Amino acid sequence: MRRNLETFWVRTTRRRLLARPWELRKHGVLGINRRNIEYLFSLNARRLYGLVDDKIITKSLCAEIGVPVPQTYAVINRFGAFKALAATIGQREEFVVKPARGSAGRGILIIVGRDGGNLRTANGETISLNDLKYHVSTSLSGLYSLGGRPDRVLVERRIVLHPAFENLAVGGTPDVRIIVFRGEPVMAMLRLPTKASRGRANLHQGAAAAGIDLDTGTTFGGVCCNRATTIHPDTGAAIDGVSIPYWSRMLEIAGSVSRAVKMGYLGVDIVLDDNHGPLLLEANARPGLSIQIANRCGLLPRLQSARAQW
Amino acid sequence: MVREQRLVAAGVIFLVVAGAALIALRVRNLQGSHLSRGESVWRLTYDIEFPLGINERTYIAIPDDMRSSRIFRETFSHQGIWMDVLMTRRRLAREAAIVPVVGRQRARFIAYFDIHVRAGGENGLVPSEPKPSAEEIAHYLQPQSGVQPSSPVVSAVISRMQSEQASKGGLLTAIFNYCADGIVQQGIDAPSDANGTLHRGVGTTLGRARAMTALCRAAKIPARLVVGFALGSSQNAGKHYWVEAYSNGRWAPYDPENGYAGELPARFLPIRRDGVEIVRNVGSAAYKGRYSIRRLPYPPVLGAAPDNGIWSVFDLTRLPLGMQEVITAILLLPIGALVTAILRNIVGIETFGVFTPALIALSFVQADWRTGAVVFFVVLGVGTAARMILNKLKLLMVARLGVILTLVILCMVAAVSILDYLGLTPSASAVLLPMVILTMMIERFNVTVEEDGYRRALTVFAGTLVVALCCLFVLRIDALGRLVLSFPEVQLLNLAALLLIGRYSGYRLTELWRFKDLT
Repeated sequence: MRRNLETFWVRTTRRRLLARPWELRKHGVLGINRRNIEYLFSLNARRLYGLVDDKIITKSLCAEIGVPVPQTYAVINRFGAFKALAATIGQREEFVVKPARGSAGRGILIIVGRDGGNLRTANGETISLNDLKYHVSTSLSGLYSLGGRPDRVLVERRIVLHPAFENLAVGGTPDVRIIVFRGEPVMAMLRLPTKASRGRANLHQGAAAAGIDLDTGTTFGGVCCNRATTIHPDTGAAIDGVSIPYWSRMLEIAGSVSRAVKMGYLGVDIVLDDNHGPLLLEANARPGLSIQIANRCGLLPRLQSARAQW
Repeated sequence: MVREQRLVAAGVIFLVVAGAALIALRVRNLQGSHLSRGESVWRLTYDIEFPLGINERTYIAIPDDMRSSRIFRETFSHQGIWMDVLMTRRRLAREAAIVPVVGRQRARFIAYFDIHVRAGGENGLVPSEPKPSAEEIAHYLQPQSGVQPSSPVVSAVISRMQSEQASKGGLLTAIFNYCADGIVQQGIDAPSDANGTLHRGVGTTLGRARAMTALCRAAKIPARLVVGFALGSSQNAGKHYWVEAYSNGRWAPYDPENGYAGELPARFLPIRRDGVEIVRNVGSAAYKGRYSIRRLPYPPVLGAAPDNGIWSVFDLTRLPLGMQEVITAILLLPIGALVTAILRNIVGIETFGVFTPALIALSFVQADWRTGAVVFFVVLGVGTAARMILNKLKLLMVARLGVILTLVILCMVAAVSILDYLGLTPSASAVLLPMVILTMMIERFNVTVEEDGYRRALTVFAGTLVVALCCLFVLRIDALGRLVLSFPEVQLLNLAALLLIGRYSGYRLTELWRFKDLT
């Protein structure tokens, strides 16, 4: 007991509560204010946000430039389409319902099977068709959309987990986030859903992530809840040293998407489907900054050298 | 990048220079125009205690703006009552109408009035009012309590005068001379009604004024009794009484005690003109009133003189008091925005909604914070509970928000009513809680709980509370409220500060914690 207390004391005193600003600057850490002022405002034109904020628009853009995306079963864009909802679903066992303008994985419902007339979700809950209709109607009225605007709802094919990520995902599908600066990938991470993130791959909701070496496509480092780690918090499996399949193809996709939306600072999210390979999930015009902790490295030096080359 | 940096720098320099220059100019201007001859500033304090009966209303007359004096600040604090300020019939007094709170035996009414007295000017103390109608003229000839125009003593005095004076003007002068010189003033044992005063030739200040009122009315000169104060430092200021007589188409003041005829110096402050005492009980309960007057040091930011040309446009303190309060609240909001910007962009606290905390804080600025806090948390608690139950009904969003809004309002009204029943008089400003904003906050709290879990929802809620409290601490500063009202130019400096924060690209304080593993 006493020893425990002692080690606790040593640990807390040795670990400082806050970093010093000059230390962060020395490590090239990009903060939110600087990201907004120096990158988002000047590199991402406001009028282009619609291209990435609406997944349906992003998908059609991808179709034009030949970037593969998860297959769309249906788009629901008005309240009256409920009757069609049952017909759309038909006898499908697996599908995903997501609001077109949802952010941070909000409002996404993953159906993994049937239970008589009811549907089973990825969280292990059983919902009725009426529950699904209610979910669609709240999505349409804009509960999950940016700024509460009326929204559309996508019904998509469910991603089949690639065996490479077998032990790394809990309750959802991992994805790869690549930050692209003026068409050039500058940093990447593998995002892994956890129990805390409830199947979603968003770091601020509690997902874990590992940095990816851009040259080799192998993961290293790692983060969960803003703290450095190298293991998955739920399974305990090592999240570093994982080799990402199709890595060069993913970098190509990221580059061509960012060129197509003409944004200078973009986060591109790619999933790996066991049957179809890398698929573009969505793009993000305001990508988060925890990727720096996952990579044990600040973004600024990379952005500055990319800027110098450009 | 560089171009924006320069534009912002130029903007900030311009705003700071313009703001500072305007403030400096106006301070100079104020110093030049102020402390002019004859002006003075006074604080009149009412401290009145009275027993409360059920269904008994009390009306307390309070000072009003005159041509020669202006009330630039008033504060009411009261216990055990509801009150409202209104004008009496015929606009003869401004009154605080007081309704007792159920279950209270005694009430206390404390009020401060800060009065700016300007140099007199003709008719400074008489309100401008329309020519009295025949009915009103008749009213001012009637007997009244303590004023008996038809008593034998009064008739005897007036018939003696009428035999000597033919004209009405001469008669008024004779009456005034009689009351000013022919009646000896004595203390509290002397009669204080017209009859007794004239009978014995001795009266209190009230008795002399009543005697003059009765004599005027007997002579068919409309007259009214005025109660007020003579301004001068005093811990226990006595009330002063004088008479306004209607002759030659205007009301003219006559002060038998001091001998002023036709015009009073600006140091007199009329309170009520209908011959009733300052405190008017509809029941007959006894009250204990104490009035004190003290001179205030001339405040540097008092309204400029009205003839200050274009500069008076900048002078918001010349506006009516009620409007000043609203404008102060509005002008405080940008300061709240500045506090919010600092806490969000430099400290890095997350909140529900951008200006939600500032608006909540603003509604607390004028409220008693305890009542406010009770109402706030009751509304939030009930709203959140209701939202969770509503979740089961699966309503469309707008309808659901409408239901929560209704519940929030009902719950707030109920809270106010219950607090009142318990005798904890809620301040009316607590009712001003921004209900729509609270509704949205409840909705967003619930959505965050569903989407991101309790931990995160509570974190953001705590952030909202912290920012609201910081805003409250800043906005509550009394001097700040007066500053934004007296010097609206402060907003230019506020804008400059907002521009600077808008270009702050350094780390947020919370990022030092967030990224600490990177060092």
